[in-house]
Amino acid sequence: MLTIYGQSDGKFCDGVSRRNFLKIGALGLGGLALPQLLRAEAQQGIRKSQKSVIMVYLPGGPPHQDMYDIKTDAPSEIRGEFRPINTNVAGIQICEHLPMLAKIADKYAIIRTVADAVDDHSDFACLTGRSKRNQPPGGWPEFGSIVSKVLGPTHPATPAFVGLEPRMQHRPYNDSSAGFLGIAHRSFKPGGEAKGDMVLNGVTLDRLADRKALLAGFDTFRRNVDASGVMSGLDAFNEQAFGMLTSNRLVEALDLSREDKNVVDRYGKGDPRPRGDAAPRMPEQFVLARRLVEAGVRVVTVAFGFWDYHSNNFRTAKEDMPIFDRALAALIEDLHSRGLDKDVSVVAWGEFGRSPTINKDGGRDHWPRVSCGLVAGGGMRTGQVIGKTDRLGGEPAERPVTFGEVFATLYHNLGIDANRTTVTDQTGRPHYLVDGHLPMRELIG
Amino acid sequence: MRCFLLASVFVFACAAIARAAETSPTTRPINFANQIVPIFTKAGCNAGGCHGKSSGQNGFKLSLLGFEPTEDYEHLIKEARGRRIFPAAPERSLLLLKATGELPHGGGKRLEKGSRDYDLLVRWISSGAPYGHANDPFVVSIEVSPKEKTMPLGGEQQLVVNATYSDGSKEDVTRSALYEPNDKELAKVEESGLVKVFQQPGDVAVMIRYQAKVAVFQATLPLGVPVATLPPARNFVDEIVFKKLKTVGMPPSELCDDSTFLRRSCVDIAGRLPSVEETKRFLADQDPAKRDKWIETLLDSTDYADNFANKWGALLRNKRSSPQQMMGTYAFHDWIRDSLMANKPYDQFVREIIAASGDMSENPAVAWYRQVNTTTAQVEDSAQLFLGVRLKCAQCHHHPFERWSQQDYYSYSAFFSTVGRKPSGVPGEEVIFHKRGAASATNPKTKAAVKPAGLGTAPVVLAPDEDPRMALADWMADKNNPFFAKALVNRYWKHFFGRGLVDPEDDMRETNPATNPELLNQLAKNFIESGFDLKGLVRTIAQSRAYQLSSIPNQYNGVDKQYFSRYYPKRLTAEVLLDAVNQVVRADSKFDGLPTGTRAVQLPDNSFNAASYFLTVFGRPDASTSCECERSQDASLAQSLHLINSKELYDKLAAEKSAAAQLAADKARKNEDKIKELYYAVFSREPDATELGLASGHIEKKVKGKEGKPEEPVAVRQAYEDIVWALVNTKEFAFNH
Repeated sequence: MLTIYGQSDGKFCDGVSRRNFLKIGALGLGGLALPQLLRAEAQQGIRKSQKSVIMVYLPGGPPHQDMYDIKTDAPSEIRGEFRPINTNVAGIQICEHLPMLAKIADKYAIIRTVADAVDDHSDFACLTGRSKRNQPPGGWPEFGSIVSKVLGPTHPATPAFVGLEPRMQHRPYNDSSAGFLGIAHRSFKPGGEAKGDMVLNGVTLDRLADRKALLAGFDTFRRNVDASGVMSGLDAFNEQAFGMLTSNRLVEALDLSREDKNVVDRYGKGDPRPRGDAAPRMPEQFVLARRLVEAGVRVVTVAFGFWDYHSNNFRTAKEDMPIFDRALAALIEDLHSRGLDKDVSVVAWGEFGRSPTINKDGGRDHWPRVSCGLVAGGGMRTGQVIGKTDRLGGEPAERPVTFGEVFATLYHNLGIDANRTTVTDQTGRPHYLVDGHLPMRELIG
Repeated sequence: MRCFLLASVFVFACAAIARAAETSPTTRPINFANQIVPIFTKAGCNAGGCHGKSSGQNGFKLSLLGFEPTEDYEHLIKEARGRRIFPAAPERSLLLLKATGELPHGGGKRLEKGSRDYDLLVRWISSGAPYGHANDPFVVSIEVSPKEKTMPLGGEQQLVVNATYSDGSKEDVTRSALYEPNDKELAKVEESGLVKVFQQPGDVAVMIRYQAKVAVFQATLPLGVPVATLPPARNFVDEIVFKKLKTVGMPPSELCDDSTFLRRSCVDIAGRLPSVEETKRFLADQDPAKRDKWIETLLDSTDYADNFANKWGALLRNKRSSPQQMMGTYAFHDWIRDSLMANKPYDQFVREIIAASGDMSENPAVAWYRQVNTTTAQVEDSAQLFLGVRLKCAQCHHHPFERWSQQDYYSYSAFFSTVGRKPSGVPGEEVIFHKRGAASATNPKTKAAVKPAGLGTAPVVLAPDEDPRMALADWMADKNNPFFAKALVNRYWKHFFGRGLVDPEDDMRETNPATNPELLNQLAKNFIESGFDLKGLVRTIAQSRAYQLSSIPNQYNGVDKQYFSRYYPKRLTAEVLLDAVNQVVRADSKFDGLPTGTRAVQLPDNSFNAASYFLTVFGRPDASTSCECERSQDASLAQSLHLINSKELYDKLAAEKSAAAQLAADKARKNEDKIKELYYAVFSREPDATELGLASGHIEKKVKGKEGKPEEPVAVRQAYEDIVWALVNTKEFAFNH
């Protein structure tokens, strides 16, 4: 059964079995453009060597000092109640509520000093690496859109960039967009507005096959009248759409029932209800992200949970962190066991950190001066901590890191030199992908 | 290096440029700006991604592309404790050790040891790294030879670039100059200035840059097929287009048939498909002047105003950023639409926008200043939109491929220096007024105050307290203004032909020339002489035979992308496509707060995009920029899925009043007649026998059913739904062709 993550509304479970999918798949092939489709499928084989990035956004701003930077020496109004535990890397300690991650600290790096956040509940910094101020006309494109523009899809009919995050109630959590690169480089959102279009809407597969055959008969307008390539593009996307409605790689990648149940279980079970005004806690999306990059998608974005702990910081963290811990650890281990750790980079972080001082409601407030991020895979040097905060976890003490540096590193991992590659905005001005930030030596050395 | 020497020998052997050898590079005292900086530019050291970016690279900063040699000199000589330059042992200078890769260098090896550039740097350092004298000559212009040439496909041409100095001397700077073609599908240029042409016919321009000067080499790459027959020219457009086709040997396609012309012109002028009635009437009309008559019908219709108001509304940034702005966006949209309907002269239209004062209720055109709310935005939007000039770069540094300096930028910006704002009675809206005082801006480089001046002109003389924006409008509307009319006719040409004579249409510059300059000039001249008559321009274009050529290529012109030897198909825009689907399927879209039946092309502002996935996914612009490029023609997977499989479309197809339901219920007519009617509605033509057979066959198949059981009447209706679905998913429907 085809099940796509998200709220289970039965839409994707319209009684169509895998057998039927295969059946209509064959019918579909008979209907339109057999050679192209076959060629497409052939070219689409699993690309394990594909460089790609999975970006996990933690909306609301997770408490850096309660996750990766526990300050046991700080006064009690700052220290908090969580204790650090040893990881499998000597000298690195993280929170007791991240036990699975603690076992694999050799497989990621912790950045303790992300230093240029702004006090703004938005995914902008985490997905664009830029500031919202003084944007060029059209706005800064997010990472995935730029990769889509610079590298293009791995196959004409596989989106380069898939966004799994839902539309969140607090709208700025979805601030990032294709910006001046326009709709062609927008993320494909199987869980968003396109979701309704991905399941057959009241027509049977037989009827769709009929229609497709009919269309093939009517659609005789010669593609060669268009030298711009838009017509060929349209044909390729139409084929992909039909494939999606019948059976193909992208849909398969989105179909968790095709995944080994033990693997899915390892990531943990989620709840599709949104947390607060942000995202649900859905470890299943981490599995999907991995499946998508295996299917040739270059960038996958995910949003996880709601971390704006103005009250009851510790109680909520105790709930959120273990789910996140298990999901992220499973993803990282999975990438290793599949030999994808050199190819797939993972980054997980939020828009800012949280205040050292615990407020009267037992919460922590916004703290843009310093926050943490976790990076893994991509051939990076892992098993290390980058940066050091002061005694109270309130300021970077050593090696402040910018969002831009992390982005330069991610581009580097994809084989893109962000300081030599440009994208052009709508005034014709070229922009480098980062403003002078270099890939982090600690990670790529 | 050896290759280069050989190439040079070849170049010098050419008689025309013997002068180059006359200067003796080893004896003249070295001037930093003239000889050293170009080495950095050529090697890429001062590019925006390296030391040329505003923050420099690893502590070493150069000015972008060497536009500020004095600053570069300071950085080289005085910074880093003087380690960069080591006159006692020039080869040990950090500058050279890094550039040659002898010491680790993030930018890698940029310079070959022992190369001419290397030797020059060594000689410069060993002679004490002089800057040169204040009265040393400087480059006043560069000149390329040849300037233009007709080249065979696959051919090559060595360029020679000479710089002229202020003392009248000349120098061959071919190997120091930078080269960039404006269309990389047509040609590439090697560092040595050797142009290599590919197999694609067209016009290509190569921009040549040396210091702050640019020159252009233009090549025409003809197909070279004899053009025997041409349709009779209807107006000057045809005369000039056909002349070019003859020159480049590109035989045009035939004139398009009546159906194609009807649909094409209706979409381009009125933003909609022709109705079935209009189609039947037009096809039956025997009047030889019926195409002209049809153009007049469209121009007189409110649909013309709706269509172009939609276009201009996005470019003029009629964007609703908060609910309170609704009154303003509606008023501005109405104002634009009324202006177009009344055929207000274009110069007046623009004057009323850029010189707008007052509040929204008395003068809706002030709405332009609501979104375009900084001087920077006013400068750049007005230049890009009304002059076709992208000034942005010159805000911070000399424009890298234009003549515009910061002085030009800030002189132009002074026109907007007296724009005042104060709150109006309507929350969220402001009153725009002219602040008293002298108009002036500050050049951030020289810190000098500059007076308002049109691009490339002397400062204007203003009466005390005169609103400088009026002077700006005067300058634009002047019949000798080299930008204003050209920018508009080029923009409209692209609207109809899918490609500007200059493309992109708002990037007109010496280094991005028109593919048919004669036509651009004549269109502009004609437009000015007509009193900036927009409808007249549309008429001229639509009546031309060039516009009425078929899109179907003949055996030669399939490769043509520039010469308009056939009509280039265009994707229907988001709004037109949505309206077209509704018209064919017989449904209405519902837009919040607007009467049922309001078409997408009539929407007053961008605020309806968010609620319409159709408009969003097909790329209706959000009025965020003044660039036409915000509207995307690109296809996407999400679009395909939506047109193939959206619930929205399925519901419309299956509705009680849908075309399918009505056709199925109509028992009076034969299926064949009903299918013909569908074809009129969708393609403005009759189906051919195959298509007719396919559609009727589908209906019969459905009626018979799988087990031979008739499923009337559901089957017939379903069959029509399938047919309508298939027709709106064809390329012939999705494109204007």
